[in-house]
Amino acid sequence: MLGMVGRAAEGFYQVCRGLWTVFKHSGRPPTTKEFPDVMPELPGAFRGRLALAVNPETGEHLCISCRQCERVCPDKCIDITAHKSPQTGKLELIDFKIDHGLCMFCGLCTEVCPTSCIINTSDFEMSEYSRGALIYDLKRLTLSQEESAYYFAKKDLPPPKPKAKPAPKPEAAGDAGESLAQQPSDVSQQPGPKAEE
Amino acid sequence: MVPEMTEELRANKLKTDEMLINMGPQHPATHGVLRLILKLDGELVKHCEPVVGHLHRAQEWQGQNRTWFQYQALIDRVDYLSGMFTSWALARAAEKIDDVKVPLRAEYMRVIVAEMNRLTSHLLWLGTFGIDLGAMMGLPFYPFREREELLDLLEAIAGQRMMFNYIRIGGVQNEAPPGWFARLFKFTGSFPDRIDEYEAILSNNPIFLKRTKAVGILPRKLAIDYGVTGPTLRASGVALDLRKVKPYSVYDRLDFAVPVCNRDGDTYDRYMCRIIEMHESNKIIRQCIEQIPGGTADVLREKRKACSACGKANCPHCGGDLAIMVKKQNAGLRVKAGEGFAAVESPRGVLGCYIISTGSDTAYRIKWRNPSFSNLAVLPELLLDHQIADIMAIFGSIDVILPDVDR
Ligand code: SF4
Ligand code: SF4
Repeated sequence: MLGMVGRAAEGFYQVCRGLWTVFKHSGRPPTTKEFPDVMPELPGAFRGRLALAVNPETGEHLCISCRQCERVCPDKCIDITAHKSPQTGKLELIDFKIDHGLCMFCGLCTEVCPTSCIINTSDFEMSEYSRGALIYDLKRLTLSQEESAYYFAKKDLPPPKPKAKPAPKPEAAGDAGESLAQQPSDVSQQPGPKAEE
Repeated sequence: MVPEMTEELRANKLKTDEMLINMGPQHPATHGVLRLILKLDGELVKHCEPVVGHLHRAQEWQGQNRTWFQYQALIDRVDYLSGMFTSWALARAAEKIDDVKVPLRAEYMRVIVAEMNRLTSHLLWLGTFGIDLGAMMGLPFYPFREREELLDLLEAIAGQRMMFNYIRIGGVQNEAPPGWFARLFKFTGSFPDRIDEYEAILSNNPIFLKRTKAVGILPRKLAIDYGVTGPTLRASGVALDLRKVKPYSVYDRLDFAVPVCNRDGDTYDRYMCRIIEMHESNKIIRQCIEQIPGGTADVLREKRKACSACGKANCPHCGGDLAIMVKKQNAGLRVKAGEGFAAVESPRGVLGCYIISTGSDTAYRIKWRNPSFSNLAVLPELLLDHQIADIMAIFGSIDVILPDVDR
């Protein structure tokens, strides 16, 4: 009889102890983060949506169409269109497509890229209404100069060296800075109509 | 005279038909998609047959069709709660074939991240175990508080919360970001108190004790016969922990205890084993932070400014033991011809990886030995003559991850 009373008292005490622990939490600040209102602070290494960076200083596109990323991708979701430019004889990027619906965000493409062009951004809100909309073309992938600067600083990447231009056109030698700045906008505009075809 | 209906008579006279019931695969408590075919006599389980394979993703076959470099990114998905350990097993097997010695700093980093991963896995188990027992309010999400902190740290170092791709063949992928070690050290200081909180809620609660004590007893011999591993085995009195029995990496330099129960373990013992293991993992992380050669990443980064991170093997701040990778990986990663087996102690038990390489950029054969699979095999024996309500308590206590079973 006494044993039973003792056990009941012990049980009651233990339940109260548990409840008190739970109760103590009500005074503490909440640990949940209210996501759409409070954006999480993501670390530089975070592997989110893929993007192509430009040189933060000059704005020239960093991709050299070496296709390393295309080759290493386990899911084969990168599709690069490039051709040899008839004027300079160098590879020229025409289009760059990434199917984010297939991508598993492994980050291997960013590891092999020799110019740190393709990078994982901290963006993860990319829901779309159709699968087709998840296929990003060159225009949607290319970051602005400010964004590139932000990610280069955040990811602690070595700053890119400006491309060594063999001065293809005679007038480019006179004003190299301008021609460098113009080039990426040409490139990024090119695929625009092509993608809509 | 009508005899009084005693329990015994009820059992003998009122024999009902056995009923066949299908539990799962879409059952919220089966931790994935497990199907159990149960033969029931009233409330009692008379026979149980687990049907596995719903989550089969051909992980082994994929390893033979992807390059080594690509496959490393995939294997975190084998057991999504403890990705570090699958990566580690593969890396160790490949390193055995290649005969490379991983730098000491990388080994310490591996132990730190792996033990953090063990904590996150056990914490998630603690929460879901509460749900399995019917503690729907409150408790299931308390452990997520610590788990979030750990996952944030792992995200900062590896890039993602659960699909780390961090431990690579020949080392680890990158150095910790600034302030990482300090955050982790702070966390380890407060962690034991948090565990004590859970213990205050659960360990002595009379309802919890009723649900777990003497339920699902796994005798020592049965456990050995079925090849059960991990905390489930140690709760049954077999002191098999690879970290102690066959120390790999730097575990022989660390001081930690392995909880072993000295009787045939029941559900409560398995619970207790994991709780103590969390304390021990916490201790391991603290020791590693203190012992890691080169100090924390911030200290090392300062020192490396002097030599401008030259990366030479004889530099006192860069190469040798202080590197994190033997040689930086590239897409053409190859493993020498040969075969190798390596095992690590994952949160669920001994996780083995056997590979045959012909020296090309893909593996010839990859075989995983997953702890969940052998732990699940013993489930029918444990469920025998238990009530339906106890199925989830027992199943939860052996901590099976279904993707790990089916691969
Ligand atoms: S992150 Fe991985 S899957 Fe995605 S594009 Fe890069 S290599 Fe391919
Ligand atoms: S690896 Fe980099 S430079 Fe080469 S094609 Fe891909 S994005 Fe361009």
